[in-house]
Amino acid sequence: MSEQNTFDAIVIGSGITGGWAAKELTEKGLKTLVLEAGRPIVPEQDYVEHVPQWEMKFRGMGDRRQLKENQPIQSTCYACDEWSSKFFVNDKEHPYTTGEGKPFRWIRGRQVGGRSIMWGRQSYRWSDFDFEANLREGIAIDWPIRYADIAPWYDYVEDFVGISGEALGLPQLPDSKFLPPMELNCVEKMVRSEVAKHFGGERVLTIGRAAILTQDHQGRAACHYCGPCERGCITRSYFSSLNATLPVAEKTGRMTLRPFSTVHSVSFDSKTRRATGVRVIDSKTRSAVEFRAKVVFLCASTLESVRILLNSSTTEFPNGLGNSSGELGHNLMDHVSSAGASACIPGFEDHLEVGRRPNGIYMPRFRNVKTKYPDFVRGYGFQGGAHREGWMRGIAQTGFGAEFKKSLSRPGPWRFGFGGFGECLPNHNNFVELNKDQVDAWGAPTLKIHCAYGENERALRKDMAMSAAEMLAAVGGKDIEPFAADDPPGFSIHEMGTARMGRDPKTSVLNSFNQAHDVKNLFITDGSAMVSSSCVNPSLTYMALTARACDYAVRRMKKGEL
Amino acid sequence: MQRREVLRLLATGTVLQLAPAKLFAVLQEARNLVQAHTSRQTLNAQQYETVKVMAEMIIPSTDTPGATDVGTADFVDLVLTEWCDELDCKRFLDGLGDVDSRAQSLFGKDFLGCSAAQQADILTALGEKMLEESKTSPAQPARLRGYSYSPSFYAMFRRLTLTAYYTSEAGATNELHFEIVPGEYQGCAEPAPVEEASEHQ
Repeated sequence: MSEQNTFDAIVIGSGITGGWAAKELTEKGLKTLVLEAGRPIVPEQDYVEHVPQWEMKFRGMGDRRQLKENQPIQSTCYACDEWSSKFFVNDKEHPYTTGEGKPFRWIRGRQVGGRSIMWGRQSYRWSDFDFEANLREGIAIDWPIRYADIAPWYDYVEDFVGISGEALGLPQLPDSKFLPPMELNCVEKMVRSEVAKHFGGERVLTIGRAAILTQDHQGRAACHYCGPCERGCITRSYFSSLNATLPVAEKTGRMTLRPFSTVHSVSFDSKTRRATGVRVIDSKTRSAVEFRAKVVFLCASTLESVRILLNSSTTEFPNGLGNSSGELGHNLMDHVSSAGASACIPGFEDHLEVGRRPNGIYMPRFRNVKTKYPDFVRGYGFQGGAHREGWMRGIAQTGFGAEFKKSLSRPGPWRFGFGGFGECLPNHNNFVELNKDQVDAWGAPTLKIHCAYGENERALRKDMAMSAAEMLAAVGGKDIEPFAADDPPGFSIHEMGTARMGRDPKTSVLNSFNQAHDVKNLFITDGSAMVSSSCVNPSLTYMALTARACDYAVRRMKKGEL
Repeated sequence: MQRREVLRLLATGTVLQLAPAKLFAVLQEARNLVQAHTSRQTLNAQQYETVKVMAEMIIPSTDTPGATDVGTADFVDLVLTEWCDELDCKRFLDGLGDVDSRAQSLFGKDFLGCSAAQQADILTALGEKMLEESKTSPAQPARLRGYSYSPSFYAMFRRLTLTAYYTSEAGATNELHFEIVPGEYQGCAEPAPVEEASEHQ
């Protein structure tokens, strides 16, 4: 192995967790190779958030034929539009299959920055309601950590990321170290106070906690409220690996970032029982390259990381590297959403919003917090917000002429919407396996995904629609429309759980520091590691776990224990 | 070179700094692009004129530009040619045919030959039909209203007309006061005084 292909550490993936691993490991002095399957992104050329609709060929309606042909799955995501569809994969190049009667929507981004370019930016701490839930209810296995273990690491990553939001002091949703919150609009303020009044203070409406800067922070500028974050951000006001962590890693001079590098498998030495490096397919030349390192961090995303390990079988691990437990690829979860309600809110017509706030409201979980709710375990939070209707309301109207035109030049009535995100229970029978007879465009075996929601998730959805409608009625909403779609898992893009942590190597893949029980110098710090799913957005927790695992790995390395 | 880039160069006068040979090439390219964008590919001359007149009736030129000024018929032609699937395209062209049939049966001439008042009667009737159809088609949740595709020709026509107008530079900036970089967020702003002033005029 040549000197130039040998590193202290290899990080697989450059998204939200890969960026953190790159930053932490290089700052701690490790010569680090970051492998990214996709292309490089140059913000000055590739970010398109300030390109107005009139410069787009289809004026924002998307290139329908291209999307239908090349991105039929990706384009079901709201963020995959005429501007940002280039940040989503071509479905033809990235096939996967699903179990019979179990559709799964897999939304993917392959470029430097990964999905952190188009993520939703909502950032919430988990609590001991989450970390203790499995143990309390006898579901799956217990988390090997508690809030106290991760709290300092939340502090640590939040100092760097910058989370805007409002402190509430709620036990089920610990406060972050906040930058000033974004403002609620008039209708949201009214709903907040009316809901507090009608529901005994149990239901709290607050502004979304978002990885978007409300003041200059760590060399990045405050948000200028142009709106569409998923198209990039030239002022680096929202957090992405491309905007924040990778530039810091680059500055250390110890990072080698290699795009167009599809990881085929992790190599393993059966004598030392250590990972020795990774095998890579160069996405441009299709040639095989091998890299070596003392420690390997898998940060390729929940489903990609597990695909790499399943494709890294050895004589010792015939069912995938690090899979002595048989749990690798199992316990796949995704938040249950697509349920809630919306309504017209009369009045407030002398008020409007100025600027496009890239953030909505949040209502923390209120079921099974103080009292046990009979219909289900765990709970859900609401996202959403209020906006005045725009010119699109004119489509369904019949008016025409000068008066009609004048009416549309003014904002329409206010509408308020609640959309739930509910906890998904871990279930061994929700799993992925390798397809033996189907490969992707780079010759790597594809995944077959078997995942479906169960009774508890369906009960959550039903309650989301009912409780949202009940609140909208209580605050004086009209034309209330509850909804509860039957969307399959994958729609929330919060997939997690396929290489869970645990205390017992017989029932878990990783220990409490994201270290593989079976392969001491292999760490997995993306969503794979999760033991349960909470109901809050998971990325902040992935970031904290990654920084914590890096600290642990480097300390062990220095002691010669890795 | 992208059309966008060409237009930007033209707008900023940057082209004038280029060498004559290159300037010619840029202008030629711009002409080609603009032509490619405006030459009809799906609509025939009569259909194109019908779309133009109907769209201008919905969004007329007033103290601000109207549907014709922003090239609505060209956008409709582009969408029919490069965006719609066959079914949508057929529905749209059949719908235009129906507009002429209505005009013929009511007034004995095709739509373009009708008086403004007769044309307005036809648009009103199309609107009533659209409402009727929306009652019998499955209910659309409010969160999807306007975004998903309606089977009604007139709803499709209105969607394309309003999209062409309100996403054009003139429509977005003159009518909606759209700013690319607002620079701030205010959740409870009072309407801008300039709007108030124009209303009292």
